[in-house]
Amino acid sequence: MRVIAHKAAKVKNLSANQTLTLISLLVFAVAIATLACASGSFDISLWAIVQGQASALENNVFMQIRVPRVLLSGFVGASLGLSGAALQGLFRNPLADPGLIGVSAGAALGAAIVIVLGSRFGVGATLGAFLLPMAAISGAALVILLLYILTSGFGYQGVTYMLLVGIAVNALASVGIGILTYISSDSELRGLTFWTMGSFGGVTWALLVPALLLITAALLAMVPAARALDLLQLGEIEASRLGIDVGRLRYRVIFAAAVAVGASVSLSGMIGFVGLVIPHLVRIVGGVHHCYLLPGSAMAGAGLMIAADLIARTVIQPAELPVGLITSAIGSPFFLWLIFRMKKL
Amino acid sequence: MVNLSDEKTVSISGVSLSVRIGRQSLLDNVSLNVKEGEILSIIGPNGAGKSTLVATLAGDMTPSNGTISYDNRDLTELSIQDRAMIRSVMAQSQPVAFDFSVQDIIKMGWVRGSDIESTSRYATALACIVEDCSIAHLLHRKFNTLSGGEHRRVHFARALVQLWRPETCSSRGYLLLDEPVANLDLAHEIRLLKQVRSLADQGVGVLLVLHDLNIAAKFSDKIAILQAGRLACIGSPGDVLTAERLTRIFQIPISVDTHSLSISYY
Repeated sequence: MRVIAHKAAKVKNLSANQTLTLISLLVFAVAIATLACASGSFDISLWAIVQGQASALENNVFMQIRVPRVLLSGFVGASLGLSGAALQGLFRNPLADPGLIGVSAGAALGAAIVIVLGSRFGVGATLGAFLLPMAAISGAALVILLLYILTSGFGYQGVTYMLLVGIAVNALASVGIGILTYISSDSELRGLTFWTMGSFGGVTWALLVPALLLITAALLAMVPAARALDLLQLGEIEASRLGIDVGRLRYRVIFAAAVAVGASVSLSGMIGFVGLVIPHLVRIVGGVHHCYLLPGSAMAGAGLMIAADLIARTVIQPAELPVGLITSAIGSPFFLWLIFRMKKL
Repeated sequence: MVNLSDEKTVSISGVSLSVRIGRQSLLDNVSLNVKEGEILSIIGPNGAGKSTLVATLAGDMTPSNGTISYDNRDLTELSIQDRAMIRSVMAQSQPVAFDFSVQDIIKMGWVRGSDIESTSRYATALACIVEDCSIAHLLHRKFNTLSGGEHRRVHFARALVQLWRPETCSSRGYLLLDEPVANLDLAHEIRLLKQVRSLADQGVGVLLVLHDLNIAAKFSDKIAILQAGRLACIGSPGDVLTAERLTRIFQIPISVDTHSLSISYY
């Protein structure tokens, strides 16, 4: 029996430590999600809900506010964590983060265009709900493609170059958003403001379901690329000599990351540093293999994002902190530490 | 070029690779073939097109004209996966972005699946190759902490893992090595070349890029000299390595002791 388990683990290419870490991360994510559903400015007894003894108000808060919010924060955390890990693998660059390199900004610009210009051209609410994630995804895809073209050929040396391109892309996107802010009406401005903060508040099932489907599809598309991403670390030419179709891998990762980040940004705004911090933490715990790193980053991203959102909405009750503030407060010192460590290498 | 249909060769015939910028031709009408069990060494001055030749044979770049075939199958008809099964390439190494262990890097050479059967085959292959390359003490180190010479040895082991195949397989495959002994100390240099020799004796076709003329003379079945993208000469070491020719091509006085085939140039 042990032999079979050992062989199975070998086939899946996961070490015992990595399997254990993945299981712990999953348990952590589920536990924190349960806790987050129960607590808030209004504590709900989950036991009462399961038994059907909860009041109508409790049921309503639980189903219409808590569950969608926790689901959204979990999925956004998973998609940012996994996209960060996959982009770091694709660019062979430990500092690639959807926020830092401008992918989130591209998505936000796409979404902002729909919010401000959409209402002027009479785009209805139904079409808007569909257009918003599409525009965000297109914005994200455009930025990743641009980054890929601009930094290809730099290989491992492109680490700083890519961040510089990211600064330029972020600046360009904020010019675009700035212009849109300037010409927007009061109601459009309210809609725009939430991008600069990043928040999981006010989400509805109607908005949530399409985004969750898109994010799930993107996550499922990325995980099978694990071995190819490992081999890519030897360089693109070496990977193709080892039988990897690098072109197909590139488009798979770019497209999946764009869908995941775009759909996330269209609902929750820009939440910084998650894609940078999560994969590094997961690597420190269990190693650099993508067959472990990709699912691990998704689970850790989900768990930590739900936790961050729980803190955001409970720490100064009844008011609420923007969750992006919390992730950036943790992420930016971490980023500095990473740069400090690179200097020593 | 005529190939007997039952003869297994990698051949590159009438290939000329040109780069449009500056209209410079990197390879010009180079024709050669490597048979199973044979070691062909490529020598020549810097910039002669040796690495370009290896990259073209490996399929990294497409020649502007001419054809490359492995075992009489045109390279362009082989998928990326098929190519990985038939030839293995060891080139100058690049740094790896993340902290993979030596073990991980070597395993990346395994292109024969990850079901239970092939995993146990991999274990056999790995044990063998680690022993042959004497890298057991490196297996658990981080790849990025190794020295340049150790990097080469690990990449060589990875190339051997890629080339490994079951005993029942009729073809032994081809090994393309671009300056495999750069950065290696004397002992490891000779050890690696002896391993290459024994692989060739088992039927592997080997193409080597070398700088040391004496090493090339000793370990090759055939030698080709590239000069400015053209094939200056190809044949047995004794025929190719003449004092007059080497002096002309490398532009320093070179003398050859034809009896022991040893070359002096300083």
